[in-house]
Amino acid sequence: MRHDDPPSGDLALSVRDLSKRYRNRTAVDGLSLDLPAGVVAGFVGPNGAGKTTTMAMFLGLVRPTGGDGTVLGHPLDHPAGYLHRVGALIESPAFYPARSGRDNLRILAAIARIDPGRIPAVLDLVGLTDRAGDRFRQYSLGMKQRLGIAAALLGDPELLILDEPANGLDPEGVRDMRTLVAGLGQGGRTVLVSSHDLSELEQVCDWLVLIDRGRSLYQGPAAGLQGGTALGLRTRRPEEAARVRQALRCAGLAVSPFDRAAADPADADFTGLEVAVGDRHGDLADLAARVNQLAFDAGVVLTELAPRRRSLEDRYLDLVKTELVKTDLVKGDHR
Amino acid sequence: MTHVVRAELLRLVHRRSGLGLLAAATAFAAVVGLSIYAGATAAPAGPAGPAGRRSGASVASLSGTGGGTEAFVVGASFVGFFVFVTVIALMAADLSGGTFRTLAQREPRRVRLLAGKVAAVLAVAAGVVAATEALTFAASLVLAPLYGVPTAGWFSLASLGDAAVDAGTVLAGVAGWAVFATLVAVVFRSVPVALAAGFGWAGPFENIVSESWSPGYRWFPGQVLAAVIRGGNAELGFGRAAVTAAVYAAVAAAAALWVLCRRDVTA
Repeated sequence: MRHDDPPSGDLALSVRDLSKRYRNRTAVDGLSLDLPAGVVAGFVGPNGAGKTTTMAMFLGLVRPTGGDGTVLGHPLDHPAGYLHRVGALIESPAFYPARSGRDNLRILAAIARIDPGRIPAVLDLVGLTDRAGDRFRQYSLGMKQRLGIAAALLGDPELLILDEPANGLDPEGVRDMRTLVAGLGQGGRTVLVSSHDLSELEQVCDWLVLIDRGRSLYQGPAAGLQGGTALGLRTRRPEEAARVRQALRCAGLAVSPFDRAAADPADADFTGLEVAVGDRHGDLADLAARVNQLAFDAGVVLTELAPRRRSLEDRYLDLVKTELVKTDLVKGDHR
Repeated sequence: MTHVVRAELLRLVHRRSGLGLLAAATAFAAVVGLSIYAGATAAPAGPAGPAGRRSGASVASLSGTGGGTEAFVVGASFVGFFVFVTVIALMAADLSGGTFRTLAQREPRRVRLLAGKVAAVLAVAAGVVAATEALTFAASLVLAPLYGVPTAGWFSLASLGDAAVDAGTVLAGVAGWAVFATLVAVVFRSVPVALAAGFGWAGPFENIVSESWSPGYRWFPGQVLAAVIRGGNAELGFGRAAVTAAVYAAVAAAAALWVLCRRDVTA
């Protein structure tokens, strides 16, 4: 699943074995990453996966404990060599609350030696022209995020790093942000945008980097992570589903419940199961027959058995789950 | 570093902050002028007491060369402490509120970033000190006739020189306070914690300890800076105070830069 071979062509960013350890916690654990120039890349992982720490290391804010790499061809440990070509919004947007959005951009333009004549253009791009004279503290969360993006765009950067730009926004704000991010990648600019929610990014990204607990799970074209097909089945009662699940697992099949992401446990579907279709399972019909037989042998009559299109998010969750199982196995070996 | 200074000046100097500082300087001139002239004794002032506790001005000292800015110098100890507290609040807010992170992405050389910020604060402080001195001089001009203090000697070339020296010593003391404030802010980062630590040390701690341990007047940073601002006092001459303050400020600046450069920017 992992793309071990670096992508061909120019790399906007390349790091090897990047690590960040705090006293009793490893935030980033030997992460290697190659980001081709010109892609809009989604940097996806659950909360606490190490996305922000990784991005902070790219920006020279956090010093890596180990590993090295280059950003726009310059060594990672010399951020002054490349940061003038990088724009970033990391963590929450931080500006002087008593100063207007426009004044805050003037301050940043001065410190970065950027022509302040670009300020109206970036304000226009993020749709803040009408509110540019208001104090930052009067902005809504969405406006603050947009000002953060305007600040990142001030220097017309070659590499744009955005950390959860849609975090905390309402559905309309998320949609607007998605449209904005998609537009930012036009014209050859490389964009690395993080999120804990793959569905936010899958429509706008042509490259994906998935991480969990500081380790890379997948990196490569978004198309390479497309979901494929699974086999869905349903039983009459939850306890029957549990029996079937046990039987399928004993037979070596990867099986998971439907609706794993249900926010409310009351909404979860405890009677549906999904069987992953691997290369070794051959024809889907053969697999269906085998599943049906195994369920029957377990004393369960299935009420539904049908192919099921798997989403990108399903694949992502599978990867995270597989990594968890691997980690648990390793921990078990060490006990 | 000039780009950092320029950016920081853009942050610090605007209409609202200008009006606020002008109001503070005017209030300072009025309050300090009134208290100095109302408390001026007819007899020549005796030897100064311990640092920060000079007994006050006399009509004779106020009417001599430099008398026009004496009220400013006597009250300027408070300016140093005001700068100390203000710089702690500004710097710690930057470091804990994320604006330092925003700036560090634009200027990753943290030595330049911090030095530029302090330089900008000092540039503003220089303007405020000059304006405060001018306003206190104006207030003194109004108050002097009311308290029978002649002002003829205030307009000589020597008086102008004294005024420049007074402004210089006050600014030197203020610079020292700003550097110490920066160290406190960098070490503690949180605004309330940094303010509590700075206020507690330079306020009650130094003064209470110095009451019972007189070398404190010569060695505690706050007392040394107070002596610099007052142009020396009975405990500590200006020359020694200036050298001690310079050494302290250099150590504080180096410590602040060392801590800032070693730490990750996480806020």
